[in-house]
Amino acid sequence: MVLRSLAVQGSWNYRTLLGGGFAFSLLPVLRRRYRGEPEALRAAVGRHAEYFNAHPYLAPVALGAVAHVELAGADPAVVSRLKAGLVSPLGTLGDRLMWARWRPLCALVAIGSFFAGLPWWAAVALFLGTYNALHFGLRLWGMRLGWLEGLNVGRALGRSVVRRVPDRLTLPLVASAAAVLPLLAVALVRGFELPPPLVLGAAVAAAGLRWPTWVGRAATGVIVGSGLLGTLLGAAQ
Amino acid sequence: MPIVLYRVDDRLIHGQVVVGWGTHLDVDYIAVVDDALAPSEWEQELYRAGLSARMEGRFVTVQEARHRLAEWKGSPVRGILLTRDLETMLRLAEGGILDSEDVNLGGLHEAPGRRRVLSYLFLGDADRRTLAALARAGVKVSARDVPGARRVALRELLEGS
Repeated sequence: MVLRSLAVQGSWNYRTLLGGGFAFSLLPVLRRRYRGEPEALRAAVGRHAEYFNAHPYLAPVALGAVAHVELAGADPAVVSRLKAGLVSPLGTLGDRLMWARWRPLCALVAIGSFFAGLPWWAAVALFLGTYNALHFGLRLWGMRLGWLEGLNVGRALGRSVVRRVPDRLTLPLVASAAAVLPLLAVALVRGFELPPPLVLGAAVAAAGLRWPTWVGRAATGVIVGSGLLGTLLGAAQ
Repeated sequence: MPIVLYRVDDRLIHGQVVVGWGTHLDVDYIAVVDDALAPSEWEQELYRAGLSARMEGRFVTVQEARHRLAEWKGSPVRGILLTRDLETMLRLAEGGILDSEDVNLGGLHEAPGRRRVLSYLFLGDADRRTLAALARAGVKVSARDVPGARRVALRELLEGS
């Protein structure tokens, strides 16, 4: 079902959003519940193909929970209320974690590692590796959480790390942006051969953000300033 | 200014309400008025998981909401009051309780018998009658999905389509 969930956006459309993909992913479960009842199976696939939405990487939470209650023989009305309630938290949690934090963070770290001397293919591999480690981890974690909790998945989600992690990623994201964006600005103007002291300075400045004191602020100021200076020098040449 | 927004939205608590309106209006809690959700603990937990960490979720029946409305309005704690349909808002407004309050239509989606009025607003004949009844109860109805969008007045909604 985790593998099938990779195709959860496969029939995305403006009316049912993830509906078709959800029914497809859930098919093994529905076949098991309605074995030998082709009419009931068809009806079940139909009701699961209706409107549903979630962050694609967190859709497995809903698949796991729905599988749990379907195999326990739940009333279809309860199942659809469960799905309706999952739309909002799965969308919000996923957007905050993946789109607003993890993806830009992975990209910045990969670009930074390139400036620090990593060959380009290794930087690309670093981005794909770190990004997808959390992506696939999230799918497996979500499926397990949903499957274990069933109807109680809401409480589990409310307490889960996925809800707290985005706040903890804010600082690393700001730090890597502070380090990498000035370097990127310099690189775009002057070409991609950057003097090592500049890269080192950027890393120190980013680390400085850990301490919300004048040290951190001064370091950030220095690197932003040097980035601007580099840009100006590059432009003047 | 204790209930800063009355809203009808069939998705109840979701991103537009929590991030869009919640942040814009600096909200402390969201009160969901819904007879089906009020007794259902597991469903409430689902909707709570979509709230931001500093927002509280309250789930009450129409009856309870009518009793507590005066208290909510008199408190310094700021809240959004949500219903999933127009019927529920009308039951809340009965007897002029929401007289001269603004009610925001934030999302009523496609269903059999409904026609598109705005991208996020589909109305059927029954919905139009309920809107008229809300207006008679003194409620000022308009539509706007997110704070930055244009506000569409009730008259314009009923004329269009």
